[in-house]
Amino acid sequence: MPTLAALRRRLSRDAHQPLLPDRPPLGPLARRLLPPDVRARIDALQLDDAGHGFDPFGMSRDGVAVGLATTRWLYEVWFRVQSNGVEHVPATGPAVIACNHSGMLPLDAWMLGTDLLRRGPIGRPVRVVMDHFVPNLPWINLLFARAGAIAGSRGNVHAVLAAGGLLVVFPEGTPGIGKGFRRRYALQPFRPGHAELALRHRAPIVPTAVVGAEESWPQLARIDGIHVAGIPFLPIPGTPLPLPTRMHVWYGEPIDVAGRFAEADADDPRVVSALADEVRARVAELVTIGLRERRGWFR
Amino acid sequence: MSDGAVAILGATQPLGRALTARLLAAGRPVVAVGLEAPTGLAGARYERVDLTAPGSLRALLHGPCRAVRTVVNLAFHRDPHAPQAHRLNVELARELVAVAEAHPTVAALVHRSSADVYARRSDRPHLVREDQPLELDPAAPPWVRQRVEADLVVSTPMGTSPLRICVLRCAEILAPDQGSQLYDYLSSRICLRPMGFDPMVNVLSLTDAADAFARAVAVEAEGPFNVPGADTLPLSRLIRAWGRTGVGVPGPLLGPLYAARRAARRTRFRYGANAWRFHYNGVLDGTRAAEGLGYRPAHPLRTYQPSTS
Repeated sequence: MPTLAALRRRLSRDAHQPLLPDRPPLGPLARRLLPPDVRARIDALQLDDAGHGFDPFGMSRDGVAVGLATTRWLYEVWFRVQSNGVEHVPATGPAVIACNHSGMLPLDAWMLGTDLLRRGPIGRPVRVVMDHFVPNLPWINLLFARAGAIAGSRGNVHAVLAAGGLLVVFPEGTPGIGKGFRRRYALQPFRPGHAELALRHRAPIVPTAVVGAEESWPQLARIDGIHVAGIPFLPIPGTPLPLPTRMHVWYGEPIDVAGRFAEADADDPRVVSALADEVRARVAELVTIGLRERRGWFR
Repeated sequence: MSDGAVAILGATQPLGRALTARLLAAGRPVVAVGLEAPTGLAGARYERVDLTAPGSLRALLHGPCRAVRTVVNLAFHRDPHAPQAHRLNVELARELVAVAEAHPTVAALVHRSSADVYARRSDRPHLVREDQPLELDPAAPPWVRQRVEADLVVSTPMGTSPLRICVLRCAEILAPDQGSQLYDYLSSRICLRPMGFDPMVNVLSLTDAADAFARAVAVEAEGPFNVPGADTLPLSRLIRAWGRTGVGVPGPLLGPLYAARRAARRTRFRYGANAWRFHYNGVLDGTRAAEGLGYRPAHPLRTYQPSTS
């Protein structure tokens, strides 16, 4: 039995010993759920580690392992993701992957991020840009941030590209996933911010399309008046769970921004807008190819 | 390189003592100004001055400090609700700029600011550069408003003033009597934090902070500079590293719980002043300080964690 004095000492504000034992870390457990080649890829990730296993945005190797373990079954079994042209993703230097956005929830972003981590250049952290409201969502913000996602502020994406990072953006934004099933694969207007940043950082843009996500979880309707935790709308799903449609990821040839444009073009709205339109046209081409090549929603 | 004598306002605080020692070691004469006993200031000329007294600053700069080249302002009142807090935290900075500009020998002013001055929201950058907007929300806690006001008072004349002005926006200094709310937070045995959130925090050692100020005194650089520390880690990891127990609590309960604890145990930590930082990342980007001051943090947490008592 501890004495009263010992108990008081243990509870005193200056005794630097945790009262409770640490909870077991999830990272090692998650790694055991992943195939060896994926584990090796996680170990090879080059993080800007500040000495505690985390980069300034909160990404960690354990967090990536948890993220990939979470999506493994979805990636391999449920959506059976097929990847085409991943060799177009630059292995080094700043790069922007610009992709269409579709479905009711951003399952396409999950699968694209997973595909890049599992099949993309080895050692490259993947920085998927998420909407402003995601950091407001308890636990979800942690799952995404630890796996490498960043909130879509200009300063964040600037920092990633300035450090030579690989950025994944969805220039349609929320309208891409909120457009409803009847308007599937109709690309929404592209916001030009990704083009301006690519010009400023001399980063190639890889046009990319995900086909199959539009049918995975049809949205029947949406309620626009509900903004809990900053969400833009409340979707009404057509099915209780996502359908096991097959997702196809198509990476196109990179647009050589550094070779075709001057850095000063980033300050010219006409050039920026024209480049964003070009990216949109290239993504639309890839969507058309993806729809033509697949043999049905589930194949 | 700048030379000549240096006056340090608030020199009796830990950072003031550390900076005094560094400057003395570099051969710079130091006039250490403070209210508390001058321990650890051997070699410096100590002046006991209550800077909140009317006319005291002018008398100081034209009296004992009449030959100084640089003034470093570290003086602040840690309780924003204290009667003299606004006088020391804001009005002193305003008066200091005016008196120093008209002073015959003062050529440089180095002001201590804080990472708290930056607005922190979910849609703001998580890696904070000097050009990020400051927290101008009138609903911000007095603690933050005073720091922002002082920062603006000192920063506004940059470029037009005859003075070389440096504002160092420091990350949390995990040391006693430094006005660190994070240090006060970690002084409790059980640290409550919002469930489902674990923001990245950056902490600064006294040694690194003193190094940044010594460089700001020595070089000719001007402008605002972020001063990050060597450690960037999630709040939960920091709590564990500090030997504390972190407990997740639903966010809306944290304010009342900490208010009750503050009333019952007279702790200094105020949750209302820190709610944003307990939700969103806010890591200072030290690129400008590295380029302009040659400052790079080199003393991580494990080397200065307080010993078990």
